[in-house]
Amino acid sequence: MSEVIVVTSGKGGVGKTTTSANVGTGLAMLNKKVVLIDTDIGLRNLDVVMGLENRIVYNLVDVVEGNCRMKQALIKDKRYDNLFLLPSAQTRDKSAVSPEQMKKLTDELREEYDYIILDCPAGIEQGFKNAISGADRALIVTTPEVSAIRDADRIIGLLEANGIHKIDLIINRIRMDLVRRGDMMSNDDVIEILAVSLIGAVPDDENIVIASNQGEPLVGNSSAAGQAYMNIVRRVLGEEVPYLDLDSGSGFFSRLLKRMGLN
Amino acid sequence: MKQSVMIKGNTYGITVVLDPELPFSQLKEEVAAKFQESSGFFKNARMALAFEGKELDSAEQMEMVSAITANSSIQVLCVVDSDKEKEEIFRSKAEMVQSAEYNPGLFYKGTLRGGQVVESENNIVILGDVNPGGKVIAKGSIIVLGALKGNAYAGISGNEKAFVAALDMAAMQIRIGDTIARCEDGREGNEDPVPKIAFVENGNIYVETICKEVLNDINFA
Repeated sequence: MSEVIVVTSGKGGVGKTTTSANVGTGLAMLNKKVVLIDTDIGLRNLDVVMGLENRIVYNLVDVVEGNCRMKQALIKDKRYDNLFLLPSAQTRDKSAVSPEQMKKLTDELREEYDYIILDCPAGIEQGFKNAISGADRALIVTTPEVSAIRDADRIIGLLEANGIHKIDLIINRIRMDLVRRGDMMSNDDVIEILAVSLIGAVPDDENIVIASNQGEPLVGNSSAAGQAYMNIVRRVLGEEVPYLDLDSGSGFFSRLLKRMGLN
Repeated sequence: MKQSVMIKGNTYGITVVLDPELPFSQLKEEVAAKFQESSGFFKNARMALAFEGKELDSAEQMEMVSAITANSSIQVLCVVDSDKEKEEIFRSKAEMVQSAEYNPGLFYKGTLRGGQVVESENNIVILGDVNPGGKVIAKGSIIVLGALKGNAYAGISGNEKAFVAALDMAAMQIRIGDTIARCEDGREGNEDPVPKIAFVENGNIYVETICKEVLNDINFA
């Protein structure tokens, strides 16, 4: 049973691409056959974060337009043999692909891969519509900021209207010191507003920046963010994983556990 | 002296009370005379007509009506039957039709998110939150069993007696009828939300904590 997962947020710059790269790589680490698709046509960067930019010959638009076969466009990851990337085109725009074409493409990939991860562009226009057209479930990425949450809320509404009801939330770049001081929304605050299930919170971690620049997803390594992403991957697979103690004090974490029924 | 014909009026029409003792032909003459007398008073009023006191068949009713219109400039819109049995049948049929069409409003379950709109010709109950950017539009009243953080427009056809109630009232904008209120600038949700109700009084929207006194004072259509 393969699953098509769209990673989306509405707002730009909250970490969709980083999340796609890490979740995809994490699934591959756990021996799943994974393909990552960059649907951000015209502004591709999943290939950069994955460190595969130099291998691009064909892209998503070439496949859709029939300029090449799917196999030719898929780039095999440098670390995992069961991880592939379908990069987007740099010289075209969103209108080069239609939702129907995207659905056909994901259906084709379903036959061979366990997980198809779609990195969605920011916004709610054509690129978003393309990305969600073939998806079974969605990972919503948000940061604990009002503007990102507003957009996430809008996106959840649009997903539900398009028949995608399996929606999980990733709260990215949370800073417990700010939360403790009351200067940042807590996980609970965000969940309360958005009313969807939380699948993981990723702390603000400088290692993310370093890893992105090096083109090496940090999922699974010893950093806080690496651990958080690995937990998300396990939860995507359906495992029950206790939440990381992002807060060395008490309060938020025990409340969260209680909320998730794990305590 | 006992009157053989009497005219009673109300806002929508007149009732002609006939003396049951007298024969029809005589009554007709009396009615004609009576309306001629008072034609200056009625002028060319348009009204419904009813007969009381004596049972008239359809032909007699027609004669009576033509006697009235000939002797005055009244326009008779219709003749209302005073037959109790018929009235009962009409009433039950009319109520049956009305109850089938009777629709007190709409329930919406779930979170109403930014960009989403729920509309109804009647009242709306939201079982969930209305997030910022969400809109609830009703001709009647709105009740949110959750947090109202978006916009609520009640009584949009101009009904100032409509109200908006929410368990957590943090609306961006509330409109009731033609009156608009917006939230204070820089206000961020409620720390300890209490159920509140918004209503119009003297052209202003008031938002009050729901308690017995407030509910007693509210009169809604």
